Amino acid sequence: MAMVVNSIRERTITENSMVILLQGLQGEVTTVDLRNESTARGRVVNVDAFMNVRLEDVLYRDRLGQLTQLQDLFITGRNIRYVHIPDHMDIMKTIESQLAKIHRVRNFGSEGGGRKEFAKKTK
Amino acid sequence: MVLLKNLHPPTEGVRHEQAETTAVLDGQRLGCGTLYVAETRLSWFDSSGLGFSLEYPSIGLHAISRDVSAYPQEHLYVMVNGKLNSENEAEMAEKAADDDDDGSSDGGDDDEDEGAITEIRFVPSDKAALESMFSAMCECQALHPDPEDDDSDNDFEGEEYDVEEAGEHGHADIPTFYTCDEGLSALTQEGQATLERLEGMLAESVAQQYHMAGVRTEETKAEFEDGMEVDTAAMEAGQFEDADVEHW
Repeated sequence: MAMVVNSIRERTITENSMVILLQGLQGEVTTVDLRNESTARGRVVNVDAFMNVRLEDVLYRDRLGQLTQLQDLFITGRNIRYVHIPDHMDIMKTIESQLAKIHRVRNFGSEGGGRKEFAKKTK
Repeated sequence: MVLLKNLHPPTEGVRHEQAETTAVLDGQRLGCGTLYVAETRLSWFDSSGLGFSLEYPSIGLHAISRDVSAYPQEHLYVMVNGKLNSENEAEMAEKAADDDDDGSSDGGDDDEDEGAITEIRFVPSDKAALESMFSAMCECQALHPDPEDDDSDNDFEGEEYDVEEAGEHGHADIPTFYTCDEGLSALTQEGQATLERLEGMLAESVAQQYHMAGVRTEETKAEFEDGMEVDTAAMEAGQFEDADVEHW
Protein backbone atom coordinates (compact mmCIF):
# COMPACT_ATOMS: atom_id res chain seq x y z
CA MET A 1 0.00 0.00 0.00
CA ALA A 2 1.64 3.22 -1.12
CA MET A 3 1.63 5.81 1.60
CA VAL A 4 1.22 9.39 0.61
CA VAL A 5 2.67 12.34 2.40
CA ASN A 6 -0.49 14.28 2.78
CA SER A 7 0.67 17.74 3.38
CA ILE A 8 3.39 20.25 2.84
CA ARG A 9 3.68 20.44 6.58
CA GLU A 10 4.40 16.75 6.88
CA ARG A 11 6.99 16.86 4.17
CA THR A 12 8.66 19.84 5.79
CA ILE A 13 8.70 18.18 9.18
CA THR A 14 10.14 15.05 7.63
CA GLU A 15 12.80 16.89 5.75
CA ASN A 16 13.94 18.63 8.90
CA SER A 17 14.00 15.84 11.42
CA MET A 18 15.44 12.44 11.95
CA VAL A 19 12.09 10.89 11.20
CA ILE A 20 13.33 10.86 7.64
CA LEU A 21 15.73 8.13 8.65
CA LEU A 22 12.86 6.10 10.06
CA GLN A 23 10.99 6.48 6.82
CA GLY A 24 13.92 4.86 5.13
CA LEU A 25 13.24 1.77 7.20
CA GLN A 26 10.24 0.86 5.10
CA GLY A 27 10.38 -2.81 4.26
CA GLU A 28 12.93 -3.58 6.96
CA VAL A 29 12.29 -5.82 9.91
CA THR A 30 13.17 -4.14 13.13
CA THR A 31 12.27 -3.68 16.76
CA VAL A 32 10.40 -0.77 18.26
CA ASP A 33 10.68 -0.16 21.99
CA LEU A 34 7.63 1.48 23.45
CA ARG A 35 7.62 3.84 26.36
CA ASN A 36 5.58 1.42 28.40
CA GLU A 37 8.39 -1.13 28.31
CA SER A 38 6.80 -3.35 25.69
CA THR A 39 8.48 -4.10 22.37
CA ALA A 40 7.27 -4.88 18.91
CA ARG A 41 9.31 -6.58 16.21
CA GLY A 42 8.04 -6.63 12.67
CA ARG A 43 8.36 -5.27 9.16
CA VAL A 44 8.03 -1.53 8.78
CA VAL A 45 5.11 -0.67 6.56
CA ASN A 46 5.20 3.07 7.07
CA VAL A 47 6.47 5.84 9.28
CA ASP A 48 4.79 9.22 9.02
CA ALA A 49 6.04 12.68 9.88
CA PHE A 50 4.71 12.36 13.42
CA MET A 51 6.68 9.18 13.95
CA ASN A 52 3.61 6.98 13.97
CA VAL A 53 4.95 3.57 13.00
CA ARG A 54 3.02 0.88 11.23
CA LEU A 55 4.39 -2.66 11.34
CA GLU A 56 3.20 -5.96 9.90
CA ASP A 57 3.81 -9.57 10.92
CA VAL A 58 4.64 -8.47 14.39
CA LEU A 59 5.85 -10.27 17.45
CA TYR A 60 4.68 -8.11 20.34
CA ARG A 61 6.12 -8.57 23.77
CA ASP A 62 4.24 -6.79 26.51
CA ARG A 63 6.00 -5.47 29.57
CA LEU A 64 5.40 -8.69 31.42
CA GLY A 65 7.21 -10.59 28.71
CA GLN A 66 4.11 -12.13 27.22
CA LEU A 67 4.35 -12.73 23.49
CA THR A 68 1.57 -12.16 21.00
CA GLN A 69 1.53 -12.26 17.25
CA LEU A 70 -0.14 -9.37 15.52
CA GLN A 71 -0.88 -9.14 11.84
CA ASP A 72 -0.79 -5.36 11.70
CA LEU A 73 0.26 -2.91 14.35
CA PHE A 74 0.08 0.87 14.44
CA ILE A 75 2.07 2.55 17.19
CA THR A 76 1.42 6.20 17.98
CA GLY A 77 4.61 8.25 17.77
CA ARG A 78 4.16 9.57 21.26
CA ASN A 79 4.41 6.05 22.64
CA ILE A 80 7.70 5.19 21.05
CA ARG A 81 10.92 5.25 22.97
CA TYR A 82 13.33 3.72 20.46
CA VAL A 83 13.30 2.43 16.95
CA HIS A 84 16.18 0.08 16.30
CA ILE A 85 18.10 0.65 13.10
CA PRO A 86 19.19 -2.65 11.55
CA ASP A 87 22.94 -3.07 11.60
CA HIS A 88 23.19 -3.54 7.87
CA MET A 89 21.72 -0.17 7.10
CA ASP A 90 23.89 2.70 6.00
CA ILE A 91 22.36 5.60 7.87
CA MET A 92 23.81 8.47 5.88
CA LYS A 93 22.94 6.87 2.57
CA THR A 94 19.41 6.23 3.76
CA ILE A 95 18.92 9.82 4.83
CA GLU A 96 20.36 11.11 1.58
CA SER A 97 18.20 8.91 -0.57
CA GLN A 98 15.07 9.81 1.39
CA LEU A 99 15.82 13.50 0.97
CA ALA A 100 16.43 12.96 -2.72
CA LYS A 101 13.02 11.36 -3.06
CA ILE A 102 11.35 14.34 -1.46
CA HIS A 103 13.19 16.73 -3.71
CA ARG A 104 12.38 14.67 -6.76
CA VAL A 105 8.72 14.84 -5.88
CA ARG A 106 8.94 18.54 -5.36
CA ASN A 107 10.52 19.06 -8.78
CA PHE A 108 8.25 16.74 -10.64
CA GLY A 109 5.97 18.53 -13.03
CA SER A 110 7.57 21.89 -12.49
CA GLU A 111 7.90 22.33 -16.23
CA GLY A 112 4.70 21.00 -17.56
CA GLY A 113 2.04 22.37 -15.26
CA GLY A 114 1.02 20.75 -12.05
CA ARG A 115 2.51 22.26 -8.97
CA LYS A 116 4.41 25.49 -9.28
CA GLU A 117 6.87 25.13 -6.51
CA PHE A 118 9.34 27.51 -8.06
CA ALA A 119 8.00 30.70 -9.46
CA LYS A 120 10.89 31.17 -11.80
CA LYS A 121 11.17 29.20 -15.01
CA THR A 122 14.27 27.10 -15.13
CA LYS A 123 15.03 27.65 -18.80
CA MET B 1 -16.85 -1.70 36.54
CA VAL B 2 -17.02 0.92 33.87
CA LEU B 3 -20.19 2.91 33.76
CA LEU B 4 -21.54 3.28 30.28
CA LYS B 5 -23.03 6.61 29.48
CA ASN B 6 -25.84 7.45 27.19
CA LEU B 7 -23.90 9.16 24.46
CA HIS B 8 -24.64 9.73 20.83
CA PRO B 9 -22.77 8.11 17.98
CA PRO B 10 -20.84 10.55 15.82
CA THR B 11 -22.56 11.62 12.65
CA GLU B 12 -19.78 13.36 10.83
CA GLY B 13 -16.42 12.17 9.62
CA VAL B 14 -17.17 8.53 10.24
CA ARG B 15 -14.47 6.69 8.33
CA HIS B 16 -15.71 3.26 9.25
CA GLU B 17 -18.70 1.82 11.01
CA GLN B 18 -18.79 -1.79 12.09
CA ALA B 19 -21.95 -3.31 13.46
CA GLU B 20 -22.14 -6.57 15.37
CA THR B 21 -18.96 -5.82 17.20
CA THR B 22 -18.37 -6.99 20.71
CA ALA B 23 -16.34 -4.75 22.96
CA VAL B 24 -14.13 -6.27 25.63
CA LEU B 25 -12.66 -3.78 28.04
CA ASP B 26 -9.78 -5.01 30.20
CA GLY B 27 -11.12 -8.49 29.87
CA GLN B 28 -14.71 -7.56 30.56
CA ARG B 29 -17.25 -8.21 27.84
CA LEU B 30 -19.50 -5.21 27.39
CA GLY B 31 -21.81 -6.86 24.91
CA CYS B 32 -22.49 -6.45 21.24
CA GLY B 33 -22.72 -3.10 19.54
CA THR B 34 -21.42 -0.88 16.78
CA LEU B 35 -17.94 0.55 16.48
CA TYR B 36 -17.63 4.01 14.97
CA VAL B 37 -14.23 5.05 13.70
CA ALA B 38 -14.70 8.78 13.28
CA GLU B 39 -12.16 11.47 12.64
CA THR B 40 -12.82 13.11 15.99
CA ARG B 41 -13.01 10.09 18.24
CA LEU B 42 -13.39 6.35 18.41
CA SER B 43 -16.74 5.23 19.84
CA TRP B 44 -18.67 2.13 20.54
CA PHE B 45 -22.37 1.86 21.38
CA ASP B 46 -24.60 -1.05 22.11
CA SER B 47 -28.18 -1.32 20.92
CA SER B 48 -29.56 0.54 23.92
CA GLY B 49 -27.35 3.52 23.20
CA LEU B 50 -24.91 2.97 26.02
CA GLY B 51 -21.27 3.11 25.15
CA PHE B 52 -17.99 4.90 25.42
CA SER B 53 -15.71 7.01 23.33
CA LEU B 54 -11.98 7.43 23.13
CA GLU B 55 -9.90 10.39 22.08
CA TYR B 56 -7.16 9.49 19.62
CA PRO B 57 -4.36 11.21 21.53
CA SER B 58 -5.04 8.78 24.35
CA ILE B 59 -4.63 5.73 22.13
CA GLY B 60 -1.15 4.27 22.32
CA LEU B 61 -1.46 1.64 19.66
CA HIS B 62 -3.91 -0.50 17.79
CA ALA B 63 -3.47 -3.79 16.01
CA ILE B 64 -5.12 -6.68 14.23
CA SER B 65 -4.78 -9.85 16.24
CA ARG B 66 -5.33 -13.10 14.44
CA ASP B 67 -3.39 -15.11 16.98
CA VAL B 68 -6.08 -17.33 18.46
CA SER B 69 -3.65 -18.85 20.89
CA ALA B 70 -3.33 -15.48 22.56
CA TYR B 71 -7.01 -14.60 22.38
CA PRO B 72 -9.63 -16.98 20.98
CA GLN B 73 -11.22 -14.53 18.57
CA GLU B 74 -9.69 -12.45 15.80
CA HIS B 75 -10.11 -8.85 16.84
CA LEU B 76 -8.97 -5.26 16.74
CA TYR B 77 -6.82 -4.56 19.76
CA VAL B 78 -6.58 -1.04 21.11
CA MET B 79 -4.30 0.06 23.90
CA VAL B 80 -5.30 3.24 25.65
CA ASN B 81 -2.99 5.26 27.86
CA GLY B 82 -4.56 5.64 31.24
CA LYS B 83 -7.72 4.26 32.67
CA LEU B 84 -11.25 5.07 31.65
CA ASN B 85 -12.78 6.97 34.50
CA SER B 86 -16.47 7.22 35.17
CA GLU B 87 -16.70 9.98 32.59
CA ASN B 88 -15.57 7.45 30.03
CA GLU B 89 -12.82 9.61 28.72
CA ALA B 90 -9.41 8.03 28.97
CA GLU B 91 -7.03 10.07 31.04
CA MET B 92 -3.54 10.81 29.87
CA ALA B 93 -0.97 8.67 31.55
CA GLU B 94 0.85 11.33 33.53
CA LYS B 95 -0.91 10.68 36.80
CA ALA B 96 -1.90 7.10 36.61
CA ALA B 97 -3.08 4.38 38.85
CA ASP B 98 -1.39 1.11 39.53
CA ASP B 99 0.20 -0.32 36.43
CA ASP B 100 -1.51 -3.64 36.78
CA ASP B 101 -3.13 -4.77 33.58
CA ASP B 102 -5.87 -6.76 35.19
CA GLY B 103 -8.83 -4.54 34.76
CA SER B 104 -8.84 -2.54 37.95
CA SER B 105 -10.75 0.46 36.80
CA ASP B 106 -10.40 2.84 39.70
CA GLY B 107 -8.35 5.65 38.29
CA GLY B 108 -7.97 7.57 41.47
CA ASP B 109 -4.61 6.47 42.82
CA ASP B 110 -1.61 8.66 42.42
CA ASP B 111 1.17 6.26 41.83
CA GLU B 112 3.77 8.34 39.99
CA ASP B 113 4.77 5.08 38.42
CA GLU B 114 4.45 3.62 34.92
CA GLY B 115 1.37 4.75 33.08
CA ALA B 116 -1.67 2.58 33.50
CA ILE B 117 -3.23 1.28 30.36
CA THR B 118 -6.59 0.05 29.27
CA GLU B 119 -6.83 -2.82 26.83
CA ILE B 120 -9.84 -2.90 24.57
CA ARG B 121 -10.69 -5.58 22.08
CA PHE B 122 -13.24 -5.01 19.38
CA VAL B 123 -14.42 -8.36 18.09
CA PRO B 124 -16.45 -8.02 14.90
CA SER B 125 -18.61 -10.85 13.75
CA ASP B 126 -17.25 -10.16 10.27
CA LYS B 127 -13.54 -10.96 10.58
CA ALA B 128 -12.88 -9.77 7.06
CA ALA B 129 -13.68 -6.25 8.22
CA LEU B 130 -10.65 -6.11 10.49
CA GLU B 131 -8.38 -4.62 7.82
CA SER B 132 -10.83 -1.80 7.11
CA MET B 133 -11.31 -1.11 10.78
CA PHE B 134 -7.56 -1.05 11.28
CA SER B 135 -6.90 1.21 8.30
CA ALA B 136 -9.62 3.62 9.28
CA MET B 137 -8.07 3.91 12.72
CA CYS B 138 -4.63 4.51 11.22
CA GLU B 139 -6.02 7.35 9.14
CA CYS B 140 -7.83 8.94 12.05
CA GLN B 141 -4.88 8.51 14.39
CA ALA B 142 -2.69 10.35 11.91
CA LEU B 143 -5.08 13.29 12.12
CA HIS B 144 -4.18 13.75 15.75
CA PRO B 145 -0.45 14.27 16.03
CA ASP B 146 1.01 14.74 19.45
CA PRO B 147 0.62 18.36 20.48
CA GLU B 148 3.09 17.98 23.32
CA ASP B 149 5.99 17.06 21.13
CA ASP B 150 8.69 19.51 22.08
CA ASP B 151 11.29 18.14 19.72
CA SER B 152 9.87 19.03 16.39
CA ASP B 153 9.47 22.62 15.54
CA ASN B 154 6.11 22.45 13.88
CA ASP B 155 6.05 26.05 12.94
CA PHE B 156 6.63 25.44 9.27
CA GLU B 157 3.51 26.99 7.90
CA GLY B 158 4.90 30.33 6.93
CA GLU B 159 7.25 30.34 4.03
CA GLU B 160 6.66 27.33 1.94
CA TYR B 161 4.59 27.61 -1.18
CA ASP B 162 1.06 26.44 -1.02
CA VAL B 163 0.12 23.75 -3.45
CA GLU B 164 -3.55 24.14 -2.66
CA GLU B 165 -3.33 27.77 -3.52
CA ALA B 166 -1.54 26.91 -6.73
CA GLY B 167 -4.38 24.56 -7.39
CA GLU B 168 -6.92 27.29 -7.06
CA HIS B 169 -5.13 29.26 -9.71
CA GLY B 170 -6.35 26.98 -12.39
CA HIS B 171 -4.60 23.72 -11.88
CA ALA B 172 -7.53 21.61 -10.90
CA ASP B 173 -5.82 18.29 -11.05
CA ILE B 174 -3.29 18.33 -8.31
CA PRO B 175 -1.66 14.98 -8.65
CA THR B 176 -1.15 12.76 -5.68
CA PHE B 177 2.44 12.72 -4.62
CA TYR B 178 4.42 9.82 -3.35
CA THR B 179 7.69 9.95 -1.60
CA CYS B 180 8.62 6.32 -1.61
CA ASP B 181 9.74 3.72 -4.07
CA GLU B 182 6.29 2.23 -4.23
CA GLY B 183 4.98 5.53 -5.39
CA LEU B 184 7.67 5.95 -8.00
CA SER B 185 6.96 2.51 -9.34
CA ALA B 186 3.29 3.43 -9.45
CA LEU B 187 4.08 5.86 -12.21
CA THR B 188 2.70 4.93 -15.57
CA GLN B 189 5.09 4.44 -18.42
CA GLU B 190 4.27 7.90 -19.57
CA GLY B 191 4.83 9.24 -16.09
CA GLN B 192 8.15 7.48 -15.86
CA ALA B 193 9.22 8.93 -19.20
CA THR B 194 8.15 12.38 -18.11
CA LEU B 195 10.08 12.06 -14.89
CA GLU B 196 13.21 11.06 -16.74
CA ARG B 197 12.82 13.84 -19.24
CA LEU B 198 12.35 16.45 -16.53
CA GLU B 199 15.28 15.21 -14.55
CA GLY B 200 17.35 15.37 -17.68
CA MET B 201 16.19 18.89 -18.34
CA LEU B 202 17.02 19.92 -14.82
CA ALA B 203 20.49 18.50 -15.10
CA GLU B 204 20.92 20.36 -18.37
CA SER B 205 19.75 23.66 -17.07
CA VAL B 206 21.85 23.48 -13.94
CA ALA B 207 24.39 25.89 -15.38
CA GLN B 208 21.79 28.62 -15.20
CA GLN B 209 20.85 27.82 -11.64
CA TYR B 210 22.26 29.31 -8.55
CA HIS B 211 25.46 27.75 -7.41
CA MET B 212 25.32 29.41 -4.06
CA ALA B 213 25.59 26.26 -2.06
CA GLY B 214 22.76 27.19 0.20
CA VAL B 215 23.39 30.91 0.54
CA ARG B 216 20.49 32.88 -0.78
CA THR B 217 21.07 36.20 -2.41
CA GLU B 218 18.49 38.93 -2.67
CA GLU B 219 17.77 37.82 -6.18
CA THR B 220 16.92 34.34 -5.13
CA LYS B 221 14.75 35.66 -2.36
CA ALA B 222 12.55 37.44 -4.81
CA GLU B 223 12.19 34.45 -7.04
CA PHE B 224 11.72 31.75 -4.49
CA GLU B 225 8.82 32.28 -2.18
CA ASP B 226 9.52 29.27 -0.11
CA GLY B 227 12.38 28.50 2.17
CA MET B 228 12.97 25.07 0.82
CA GLU B 229 15.28 25.81 -2.03
CA VAL B 230 17.01 22.87 -3.56
CA ASP B 231 20.46 23.38 -4.86
CA THR B 232 20.16 21.68 -8.20
CA ALA B 233 23.87 21.95 -8.85
CA ALA B 234 24.33 19.79 -5.83
CA MET B 235 21.81 17.37 -7.22
CA GLU B 236 23.68 17.06 -10.44
CA ALA B 237 26.97 16.51 -8.67
CA GLY B 238 25.32 13.92 -6.53
CA GLN B 239 26.13 15.77 -3.34
CA PHE B 240 23.71 16.85 -0.83
CA GLU B 241 23.22 20.30 0.60
CA ASP B 242 21.20 19.95 3.69
CA ALA B 243 22.41 23.36 4.69
CA ASP B 244 19.81 24.81 2.37
CA VAL B 245 17.15 24.60 4.95
CA GLU B 246 16.64 27.78 6.86
CA HIS B 247 13.46 27.30 8.70
CA TRP B 248 14.67 27.83 12.15
